[in-house]
Amino acid sequence: MSTLLNSLTTELRRGTLTLAVLSQLKIPQYGYSLVQRLEKSGISIDQSTLYPLLRRLEKQELVTSSWDTSESRARKYYSLSVYGEEIFTQLKQEWEKTSQELYILLKGEGEDGAD
Amino acid sequence: MELIELYIQEVTRRLPEKNRDDIALELQSTIEDMLCKDYTEQDVKEVLKKLGDPVTLASGYRDRPMHLIGPRYYDVYISLLKMILPISAVLSLISLIGDGTFVDLGEKTVIEVIFIIIGKGIVGIFGTAIQVFFWLTLLFAVLERTDTSKDHRPLTKGFKRWTPDDLKQISNISAKKAITKVEIFGGLLGIGIFAALYFNASSLLGVYESSKDGLTFVTPTFNQEVLNAYWLLIFCIIILGVCLAIYKLLAGQWTLKLAWLHTFYQLFTTIAFIIIISNPHLLTDDFLAYMTKIFSIGEWKDSIYWGLILLVIFFAAFDAYQGFRKAKIR
Repeated sequence: MSTLLNSLTTELRRGTLTLAVLSQLKIPQYGYSLVQRLEKSGISIDQSTLYPLLRRLEKQELVTSSWDTSESRARKYYSLSVYGEEIFTQLKQEWEKTSQELYILLKGEGEDGAD
Repeated sequence: MELIELYIQEVTRRLPEKNRDDIALELQSTIEDMLCKDYTEQDVKEVLKKLGDPVTLASGYRDRPMHLIGPRYYDVYISLLKMILPISAVLSLISLIGDGTFVDLGEKTVIEVIFIIIGKGIVGIFGTAIQVFFWLTLLFAVLERTDTSKDHRPLTKGFKRWTPDDLKQISNISAKKAITKVEIFGGLLGIGIFAALYFNASSLLGVYESSKDGLTFVTPTFNQEVLNAYWLLIFCIIILGVCLAIYKLLAGQWTLKLAWLHTFYQLFTTIAFIIIISNPHLLTDDFLAYMTKIFSIGEWKDSIYWGLILLVIFFAAFDAYQGFRKAKIR
């Protein structure tokens, strides 16, 4: 039972990961700093999901990347492109709309809609 | 340190060459970010455990799918497989019959012959099935990987997207119009038996006389050299016949177009029949002599000749007419 719940939860959250990642890239971030920021907000993302996701976003031209070699360790920084910002805004609106609709729907069930 | 390098190597060796260095460097810096200053091997193991299986990580980086045939092609793939496997099984049986199985049977009893044919048949069908499965799967795996369209919706049999119009095609096939599978496979089997008899005529068709050890073969009816001289014509008939059968299987019902194709095929085979039967050396001298002795055949040889031709034309015309009749049913 709990494995089913786990897989359903993962499925439920998968679609929101892109939104979560995009939301954090207004200021350039490198891989690990992004993991930490997301974790601090309670969003757990497998690292093996995150790094390929960043590359895909780059390929889709939503984010840009650059190597910073000025520090002791070379790091690849990712940040939102102009196009990425546009998409992020629209995606955010979509999410707000969806969560509101779902909130109303779940409230009608007499359930606590949180989470 | 060595563990980290091995891990990165395990990931990058699964990736396209042009991305390797960049991803390796990024992974290296990420892993180091995750470690504290004076780390032990245990710490490294913890971090690598967090990153997960290198195969999974690598597959995340790749655009290519990790499955052989995905949802877009699965249905087309399975329906084609279901369609082609039985056809190829029948064809392999046919080629077995034409393969000279009868030539070196020699002194074997009927039971032995049946066992040989069944054994060879099973091996042949199995081998063909594996071949078909392999090549079709390979074709679809390549399609899956070379399909650059962004569209991931499944495709129907015609390699097109589904539309409500597809439903009409299904409901339209009435039992009267439909071409049954038995009909098609029966036709294919008929072609196979014909081919086997034709190319082995000198050892199979002829005059048999009953004697003490059962039937003995006295003299062949046909001159095998004469028959073999028409091999190109017969090959055309066989190949066209098989193509037509496959087309029938795909169409599933009689259409006007199919009726025309069917008619042309009938016309072609009839003409071929007349050409071959008109060859004066078709029958062996021995056979003619044997027949003349019994029936004094010389007198009505011409009427047999014309009778056969008329009979073949009649059946061909009747068969062609049936096609048109069924095509017109609504």
